Amino acid sequence: MPGKFENIKEIKKDSISVEFLYNEFKGRFKLEKVTDKDIDPEIKITEKDIHRPGLALAGYVKLFTYNRVQLFGNTEIKYLEQLSPEERLSSLKGFFSFDVPCVIVTNNNEIPIELKELADLRNVPVFRSVYPTTRFSYFISDFLDDQFSAQVILHGSFVDVYGVGLFFSGKSGIGKSEIALDLVERGHRLVADDVVVVSKKGEGVLMGSGMALAKHIMEIRGLGIIDVSKIFGIRSIRFQKRVEVIVELEDWDRDKAYDRTGLDNSTTDILDVDIELIKLPIFPGKNITVIAEVIALNYLCKHYGYNAAEEFRRKLQEKITKKSESRSLNDKNIRIEKTTEYFEHDFE
Amino acid sequence: MIIKEVTIVNKAGMHTRPASTIVKIAAKYKADFFISRNNFEVNGKSIIGVMTLAAEQGSSLTLRFDGEDEEEFSKEMIGFFEDGFGEIK
Repeated sequence: MPGKFENIKEIKKDSISVEFLYNEFKGRFKLEKVTDKDIDPEIKITEKDIHRPGLALAGYVKLFTYNRVQLFGNTEIKYLEQLSPEERLSSLKGFFSFDVPCVIVTNNNEIPIELKELADLRNVPVFRSVYPTTRFSYFISDFLDDQFSAQVILHGSFVDVYGVGLFFSGKSGIGKSEIALDLVERGHRLVADDVVVVSKKGEGVLMGSGMALAKHIMEIRGLGIIDVSKIFGIRSIRFQKRVEVIVELEDWDRDKAYDRTGLDNSTTDILDVDIELIKLPIFPGKNITVIAEVIALNYLCKHYGYNAAEEFRRKLQEKITKKSESRSLNDKNIRIEKTTEYFEHDFE
Repeated sequence: MIIKEVTIVNKAGMHTRPASTIVKIAAKYKADFFISRNNFEVNGKSIIGVMTLAAEQGSSLTLRFDGEDEEEFSKEMIGFFEDGFGEIK
């Protein structure tokens, strides 16, 4: 790991409240509350996984992951419906003897009266969604995954350059914000400056965004605080972006060897995700903004299957091989091959 | 490395003016400087970082200094915090 990312602290949420989940979902995913009682704000969800409690309802509770969000799909509801009222009550009593955070009935299923009554008695909120179980589990898993994802705070500037998320790191005062501002002026989009929250999404994807308080605010030395969205408008900002390349800026060091071919990709590790790392030495007169644009475009080329360094290496290898095959010992003339040998009547 | 816990004592909290003095002091020294509140850690040399902490009176922060001049650096900075950013009469 490069020096800049040592000692970064991973931040993880321990829990979210059921109330928060309901508030986020009622508008977006048409979740309705079925139970009469208000939701106790103290009820917490501590796991990002969901659970279909079919087996628990049937009486097998040995491995019952009761502390997860409990999803009642068609199977659970149909199973309860075919039981006699006494059996249904005893099955649900068994279920509610555990400390479940909440119950969500999907597919707009009818709520068994025993379920509602017991839930109210045990102070467990019950919700209903019109979405089919599979689709709803997809929505809620994605949401919980996001809520419980590992996060770190990184110090640097984060800009979307031609659709590539470039994160500029480097010590304080090296000019990260100035580069970001320059890029914004050239039509690229600022995600966040100085304080960037990076969270892991699924496996291998890092998403970066700013803090609510410092949304698209920037400090430029000698100028103070500016609001990029007000100055440059809506085209200059975005809320979040996948982190794709880390550009580490450092003062030019004569004794240090920098990458000259681009054949050896170096990466850095953030939250166990490998991210491409480019160490960029800076000195007066060097136009980092243009280089940043080229980094982004080169990344896109590679992404779409063209690697300039690799291509050049291949051509060179081909030439060397061909030459060694056809070499005659008395051949003293070095042939200079131009881009085009003879391009008729082009005197411009 | 020097780690020290401090409490915000002035009434207005760590608002814009103290934040700017903090980063000005920090800029004089070579050592790295971080401020954290619970798990949320920011670079103490960035004014936006420092302000994002939104630390009110009574909140406790952890200061971390790391580098060659950390000794004098921490002394001046901790003094500034304990002094209530010069806002206590």
